[in-house]
Amino acid sequence: MFRPTRFPPSLRQLTVARTSRGVASVTPKLPEYPHGNLPSSQSPITSTMHFFNSVMDSGKQIPTYRIIDGAGQPIEGAEVPELDRDFARNMYENMAQLPIIDDVLYNLQRQGRISFYITAYGEEAAVIGSAAALAPDDEVLAQYREAGVLLYRGFGIESLINQCYGTSLDSCTKGKQMPVHYSSKELHFHTISSPLATQIPQAAGVGFALKRDPSRRGKNCAVTYFGDGAASEGDFHAGMLLASTIPSPTLFIARNNGFAISTPSTEQYYGDGIAARGAGYGVHTIRVDGNDVLAVYSAVKEARRRCIEEGRAVLVETMTYRVGHHSTSDDSFAYRPRKEVEERKRLDNPLVRFRLFLELRGWWSKEEDDALKARIKADVHAAYKKAEALPRPPLSEMFTDVYGGEQPWNLRAQEKELKGLVRKYGRSWEPWKAELKKFKGEGKEWFD
Amino acid sequence: MYRSLRALSRTSRISRRWSSTQANPPPAGGHLPSIATSAFLKPTRDVSLRTPGLRWVDPVDTDPAHDMVGRETRKMNMYQAVRDALSIALSKDDTAVVFGEDVAFGGVFRCTMGLAEEFGRERIFNTPLTEQGIAGFGIGLASMGHTAIAEIQFADYIFPAFDQIVNEAAKFRFRSGGNYNAGKLTIRCPSMAVGHGALYHSQSPEGFFMGAAGVKIVIPRSPIQAKGLLLSAIRDPNPVIFMEPKILYRSSVEQVPIDDYELPLGKAEVLTRGNDLTLVSWGTPVYHCETALKMLSHPPQSIAEHVPASLRSAKVELIDLRTVLPWDVDTVIESVKRTGRLVVVHEASRTGGVGAEIGAEIQKQCFLKLNAPVKLVTGWDTPVPMVYEKFYVPDAIRILDAMMETMTY
Repeated sequence: MFRPTRFPPSLRQLTVARTSRGVASVTPKLPEYPHGNLPSSQSPITSTMHFFNSVMDSGKQIPTYRIIDGAGQPIEGAEVPELDRDFARNMYENMAQLPIIDDVLYNLQRQGRISFYITAYGEEAAVIGSAAALAPDDEVLAQYREAGVLLYRGFGIESLINQCYGTSLDSCTKGKQMPVHYSSKELHFHTISSPLATQIPQAAGVGFALKRDPSRRGKNCAVTYFGDGAASEGDFHAGMLLASTIPSPTLFIARNNGFAISTPSTEQYYGDGIAARGAGYGVHTIRVDGNDVLAVYSAVKEARRRCIEEGRAVLVETMTYRVGHHSTSDDSFAYRPRKEVEERKRLDNPLVRFRLFLELRGWWSKEEDDALKARIKADVHAAYKKAEALPRPPLSEMFTDVYGGEQPWNLRAQEKELKGLVRKYGRSWEPWKAELKKFKGEGKEWFD
Repeated sequence: MYRSLRALSRTSRISRRWSSTQANPPPAGGHLPSIATSAFLKPTRDVSLRTPGLRWVDPVDTDPAHDMVGRETRKMNMYQAVRDALSIALSKDDTAVVFGEDVAFGGVFRCTMGLAEEFGRERIFNTPLTEQGIAGFGIGLASMGHTAIAEIQFADYIFPAFDQIVNEAAKFRFRSGGNYNAGKLTIRCPSMAVGHGALYHSQSPEGFFMGAAGVKIVIPRSPIQAKGLLLSAIRDPNPVIFMEPKILYRSSVEQVPIDDYELPLGKAEVLTRGNDLTLVSWGTPVYHCETALKMLSHPPQSIAEHVPASLRSAKVELIDLRTVLPWDVDTVIESVKRTGRLVVVHEASRTGGVGAEIGAEIQKQCFLKLNAPVKLVTGWDTPVPMVYEKFYVPDAIRILDAMMETMTY
């Protein structure tokens, strides 16, 4: 920022007035420091005109924190976090189950058995590493590619699949939202919604609520996940701003996987990623190798500690690569070469990296790996078969939960209207007749 | 948002001069009511305590007739009543917080005066200047079961928060199968014309939220109403947008009960009884309606020739809707079935406005009883213009003309 060293005479008077805080009786005097500060900053005054374009020295980018390399070996100077065998194995098992669940559900969508799905291929370490670093009752506000957090907290494959099928056992949404829009109050996982980044300022509010709650203050933080694309929304700006200005223990975890649907991150921002913005908000920030589960775990653990201790926002940017398509409605080979994706999978696979690390310590073996995968596959198959046999929730659920308390007259009237139409046509109009059979009770509550 | 316009709070007192309710010279039949002299404002303790629908939150006697004993009132204008409601909500609910742009020093309309001193800066605090952030932050608090009372400085600036309100707050409960809700969120915002607010300090955006199933929209007309309805809004299990007609902040003054009381949401109030025409409005135009009714029965000399003698004894039923979403269909239907005629008055522009919704529903439910088309008296389909405001707002003369046209149809 450029400012003249010497105030022109016309401005001098103004400066004096500010330092004297408008008290008329104080004799005006020149500022104590020859250059003085500006009222809205503590910025030192310089006579050198110097533009800058990064929080780092010119030409350098914010470094990426890494612990283990592609062969599972600690890199030079890296400090491996203290982990016991069971904890490390549990992390791996959680990571390993994600692509298996994704494979099955992705294929179920391709077969038209569920309407939509989003995989987390390539981001297993970013999701599970961070989940492992959180307390089980930290409040999580996710985007949609973080089902791993729920699974890590013990949600269970069946609950996941019930939501995707919208069955009568869907405890997340009662069949009201698209697949992968999970929620669980017991597991402190707030409802996922499709509008991007809306959860980010909400997380600041959740963080503030935690700070105001004597039973959770200093114990918990709010955690919000979002992609690099979502960080372009105004809500990202608002959320960072709020959690830093109104100090709230809120942990911001950006999954920078290089793409927002077809838009590469080069078309998403011109600066040094998401991490470079953290400093602008006065927020402690770190960039971490999102394919290195140990680095993610360590960074998020420390980030969480600072977040709670200082009661302020902290930002973690995990650098990953979206190996899968954006969703089942997307063919990513329309905008990126298949070869690039295959190479990524081969060269920098978060699962392989961590498995090699475990094997080097004698904590994991090929046999165990095969057994784990077979078990998870069997679990997923059993779960989806079960879900397929389940009916949807009762049809009358369609009108519930719009309002709390008494149902307003317009909804009552509309429910009655549809009920009348279903009675009239539900047994003869084919599209309804076929559909009604899928609901619990087959809509009988409306026929009686 | 535009801080230079903070001055509005100070000038709104002056703007009363420009209010249409005082536009005409005193006629032979006596002075026309202005906001300050409105018969709908309760000048004494006894009248105030008998406010219809008033429900004490801390009853001292099970018999409502005796429950008035010992209750006190104090003369307040609307911003003081809002402040009083906030103070009660804060003192009874430790989770309640008040936040928004410039609320800590008392707010640009003084609705939060002294609250920061009374309850501390942890509970009354400024936010950065971001409406989407304010709404999102409030939703986050509410989803944790905390009472979030957010302020948007002008209703005109609620649109950056539209996504958070419509896609998030309104759908929070439904989409999570009841797991989570944003019911403890209340968003207060000054709305409606103020005499000189032009495009961005005059809007009445209630109609934009009509399709946002899951939120409620409440608009009070007076200090007693503001306090009782705001306390209900804060405690309602749904997110509520509470729009305070800013011209009434200082101009409407009445005796307000000092205790904790509520007025029901979703319930209209019948202000005058009649069998010849139903007049429905909310917020500021309620007073224009009052003036128009007086002009109908006692037309000022200057316009007397336009008011047929046969209409001067007409009995008009004036209804203050108070809650716009969900609106009180039963009260309006019952009235229109008796009167056979309906005029709806609102400041927002016509197309896509709340009046269209009411007109359609009444046409559907009262078709055989209607003796004239439902008439809407609204702002025109233009932005609210600066120097033309007097010709934009649905003032008394336009309401009078609409009533006469409907009654002579």
